[in-house]
Amino acid sequence: MNANGLHVDHLTKRFGSGDTEVVAVRDVSLEVAPAEVVLIMGPSGSGKSTLLLMLGGLLKPTEGTISLNSLVLSDLSESRLPDVRLRNFGFIFQDFNLLSALNVQDNVAIAAELTGVGRKAALEKAATLLTELGLSHRLHFAPEKLSGGEKQRVAIARALVNDPALLLADEPTANLDSSHGHETMRLLREIANEKGRSVVIVSHDERIKGIADRVLWLEDGQFKDMVAMATDPVCGMALEREKAVTADRDGATFYFCSRGCRLEFLAGSEEFARSEAKAKV
Amino acid sequence: MFRLAIKNLTQNKTRLIVSVGGLGLALTLVLFFGAIFDGAMSRLTVYIDNAGADVWVSQDGVRTMHMSASFLPASVTDEVERVPGVKEAVPVLYATDMIQANGKEYISYVFGVPDNAPLGRPGGIVEGAAMPGPGEVIIDHSIAASAGLKVGDEVAVLGQQMKIAGFTSDTSSLVSSVSVVRFEDFAKARGGNQAISFVLVKVSPGESPAVVASRISDSVSGVTVQTRQQFASQERKLVKDMSADIINIMNIAGFLTGLAVVALTVYIATIARRKEYGVLKAMGVRNRLLYLVVLTQALLSVALGLAAGVAITLLLSGLIPRFNESMVLTLSFGSLLRVAVVSVFIAGLAALLPARQLAGLEPVAIIRRG
Repeated sequence: MNANGLHVDHLTKRFGSGDTEVVAVRDVSLEVAPAEVVLIMGPSGSGKSTLLLMLGGLLKPTEGTISLNSLVLSDLSESRLPDVRLRNFGFIFQDFNLLSALNVQDNVAIAAELTGVGRKAALEKAATLLTELGLSHRLHFAPEKLSGGEKQRVAIARALVNDPALLLADEPTANLDSSHGHETMRLLREIANEKGRSVVIVSHDERIKGIADRVLWLEDGQFKDMVAMATDPVCGMALEREKAVTADRDGATFYFCSRGCRLEFLAGSEEFARSEAKAKV
Repeated sequence: MFRLAIKNLTQNKTRLIVSVGGLGLALTLVLFFGAIFDGAMSRLTVYIDNAGADVWVSQDGVRTMHMSASFLPASVTDEVERVPGVKEAVPVLYATDMIQANGKEYISYVFGVPDNAPLGRPGGIVEGAAMPGPGEVIIDHSIAASAGLKVGDEVAVLGQQMKIAGFTSDTSSLVSSVSVVRFEDFAKARGGNQAISFVLVKVSPGESPAVVASRISDSVSGVTVQTRQQFASQERKLVKDMSADIINIMNIAGFLTGLAVVALTVYIATIARRKEYGVLKAMGVRNRLLYLVVLTQALLSVALGLAAGVAITLLLSGLIPRFNESMVLTLSFGSLLRVAVVSVFIAGLAALLPARQLAGLEPVAIIRRG
């Protein structure tokens, strides 16, 4: 086994005990090599976020081990984890979660300063990264003045500023329109390739499957084989075709997460069909 | 993180103004009443300080002018004069009385001083005679300004109608003023009683007032002897003790208001950024750094509020005496230091609740869904 990259071995997370016990993640094993992009998909409540939290050292597993570049996270004491998170992980969140009081450059620089980098060096590092991400003209802007795509690029720069071995992205495209979503994913792909970072993405977004090296399907806390997937045209949720509610129209079959979405689709099927066609163009 | 604290504090200008303004007004309340009290205290002993006496001799057990009466046989003056080291000994009469003029009444410390006495003469004459003649009185200018009096007008003092011979300045306070009449007039008003109130003593050059006071105490029976500083200090202490409860209540009210304002605004500012603090924790920022951010915000708020409070108090100190001569505001270093120390304490307390919030903040909550 290559010591570099992320290694997850028989990971389990239980909440509660006895009758109220819930197993959120069940005996999951996973390896992510440097420069590899892994997309974890699955229905709501499947354990994706719990897994991501454990990978990022934010939640202790009940059983199993997690190691990153030979550092066994699951063996570390709670008091050591903050420092390990700061230096080894880059977090990218769905809501960007930038610090509203700081400008773009300071938002990135502060993460570097927290590791002991001097202010001047941190600002330079932040400016370099932001320039690489096409934000050189936004360095002194307040986050509220940025578009969603720009905010996410700032968040990516912040995640990268301490040169982490692993980037963890939680629904990074959920609050972005289609083009900004693709742009964000392209960036993550480039970062993995050019900087040799391991990237783990948790998402519902079917559209981003193309940029991942591997797509894993998590359901009921376990990885399962990828099955034929479809996207609900109403709510956009990724679905297993086998388990979905369906409707046929003009010789095509549509898949829905629920009867409610199906009814909504049938009530305005022409509108959905048009937007579907537009999206395909 | 210091930068983050400053930016967090200044980002919402309205919140900052409310916080600093509210605290500033609360601290102004404390500083203002402190300044009024200190101003009154500085005027309280103005006669004792400026009468020219190094030592004050009073009836045995009497250590203050306020809330007490001193009666000494007139012969005590000669006894005191014979004590080695005494250069001058002047008997004075004293009573707290109401000066009545034009339908108004003013509390005054009235002194009866012998003609040509080298000690006990009224100080700070701004108009008229330096010493009152027969049937005359010298009063503070603030009474004249308030009652519309001029030199030559008549006022009632010690139950007698007396003509104003002159005005002094800076001898009145919120609680009282100093008036001087002839010793003989004072004695006559008291029914010709031969008792005196105090003996003012000037010590010979090179003599220590404390040593001479001790000699007088040993040589003359039935008297209490104090240096000028001791007498003034006792006087201030008495009034301070009498006012302490009111002053303390005002201070506590002011400090509690300030504490509530800062605590509330820092708490709201922290809650509003709960998610951001959660992200910082998720990134790996330790609790103690986040506490430092909150504490810095509270300290900066308090520092700005204190500066605002001092500025307002200084402004009032300059303005108020222009409209009321008796109302003197003295912003002492001691008072300022006390308020500053309590303000730092307020900042610490105000940061406690938000710090508790941060301690319980789970970064996990930031990454939603299950």
